[in-house]
Amino acid sequence: MSKEEKGSITMWEKLGNIDYRWLYALSLVLMIIPILNPLGLPTIVSEPTKGFYNAIVDLPPGSVVAVSFQGSLALLDEQEAQFIATWKILFQHEMKVIFYSPESDGEIILNDHLGKIVKPEDYGRVYGVDYVRLGYAPLGEPGEAAFSTNIRGVFPTDIHGTALDQIPMMKDINDHTGIDLVIFQHTACTSVEWPIRQWVVPYNMKCITMTLGCCGPMAAPYYPKQILGFLSGSGMGTELEVLSGNPGPGAVMSDAKNFGVLGLLLFLVLGNLSYLGKRFGGKE
Amino acid sequence: MNFWEILGAWVGAFFVISVMTMLWKDNPYFRFGQQAIIGGTIAHYVLFNMKNVINMALIPISKGHVILIVPFILGLLMYTRLFRDYAWISKYPTSVLVGVGIGVMIAGTLRGQIIDQIKATVVDIFTAGTAYDALNGVIIAVGTVTAITFWIFTREHTGALGASAKIGRIFLMVSLGANWAGEEVWYLTQMIGRLIFLIEVFIKGTLLGIA
Repeated sequence: MSKEEKGSITMWEKLGNIDYRWLYALSLVLMIIPILNPLGLPTIVSEPTKGFYNAIVDLPPGSVVAVSFQGSLALLDEQEAQFIATWKILFQHEMKVIFYSPESDGEIILNDHLGKIVKPEDYGRVYGVDYVRLGYAPLGEPGEAAFSTNIRGVFPTDIHGTALDQIPMMKDINDHTGIDLVIFQHTACTSVEWPIRQWVVPYNMKCITMTLGCCGPMAAPYYPKQILGFLSGSGMGTELEVLSGNPGPGAVMSDAKNFGVLGLLLFLVLGNLSYLGKRFGGKE
Repeated sequence: MNFWEILGAWVGAFFVISVMTMLWKDNPYFRFGQQAIIGGTIAHYVLFNMKNVINMALIPISKGHVILIVPFILGLLMYTRLFRDYAWISKYPTSVLVGVGIGVMIAGTLRGQIIDQIKATVVDIFTAGTAYDALNGVIIAVGTVTAITFWIFTREHTGALGASAKIGRIFLMVSLGANWAGEEVWYLTQMIGRLIFLIEVFIKGTLLGIA
């Protein structure tokens, strides 16, 4: 083995053995820059996001929209941009909204965000007339099936303990026939198929969904035939903010993400160079 | 910021930083933070679920909704798993859960996830409005068929099956790559969210009072 060969092998090996903490340090710096100085990088709105938005705005005012809200406190950073923009669009377009939570965290987030960050009264919406909160039911997918056939069987009262029959908006809404659109906020990839199985297949309902970034590839096969649109991760939440003209928490997040991923890409390139260099660089 | 918001910011920052110290190396501060967070989370969910049992089962039963005794007893039977001699009893509530789950899912799965997906895979090629859509349909169809052949293990992967399986492996790797990219970006989002909290809420809002 020549001196040059020895030198090149050492270089490839060194490249592959760079301390991973440099990656963390570089990524941290790259992420912090846009947080301190938002860059306002352009956002390209994807087709699934347009489908998601159009599914709402194409409905006439006064249409009934059911929001199955599986928010998660641990995943708030990923979900916040999506649902805040969605709620604003729903209230701006004068939809009648039914909020219910198949996850316990969903109610905690609704308590904190609906009325404090998104205020229905700012849009002239009145509780019981234009929107209602039914609360949390730990029923999972069978609960969705039950909800679509008999809302009162799952939620006899709203979160305030008022019987649904005494709530003006809910008087004629008993099952899926009273609902025009269903919006799902997923907190796990395993529930992405719930709307397909319990709303689309049996009743051919209009459905749109919001998923985590990692679950997007699982929602994609159902778009656009079975679901009209979907949001995957905070990135598509930002797209919805841009498309609807409702700036929110997604903008700073997207800038930081675009920058933060550069460090990762750099190390991916270095890692691959090291691998290829060791494999084809004449080690034997 | 009021007292509770300031306290929340300090506690939040303490635990966020404790978790971030793991990026350097394992240490007692990280382990304390990790165990405190896990303990606190478990305590929260235990209390939350106890409250659910009281509100959704015990109170309605006491008001005359006696039918709820059935699921309540089935739930209690799950705890027989803790006793070796009686663990077999827990198979009854498990059977009910599995039966209900399959019953609810099966129709939607067959049509929505299998028949409609196969239909979409094949029909899209012939109903495409543009050449781009048609090409997209062909790629999806080829990817679907070849990826399925990769999982045929009852025949040796030679000849046409071997070629198809090799192409399928490429599609599977692309798919796994896309999934992993989504996962990676999700982790970044979580990290950025905590950095925004540290900078905007803790440093600017609590320490400097300028937010």
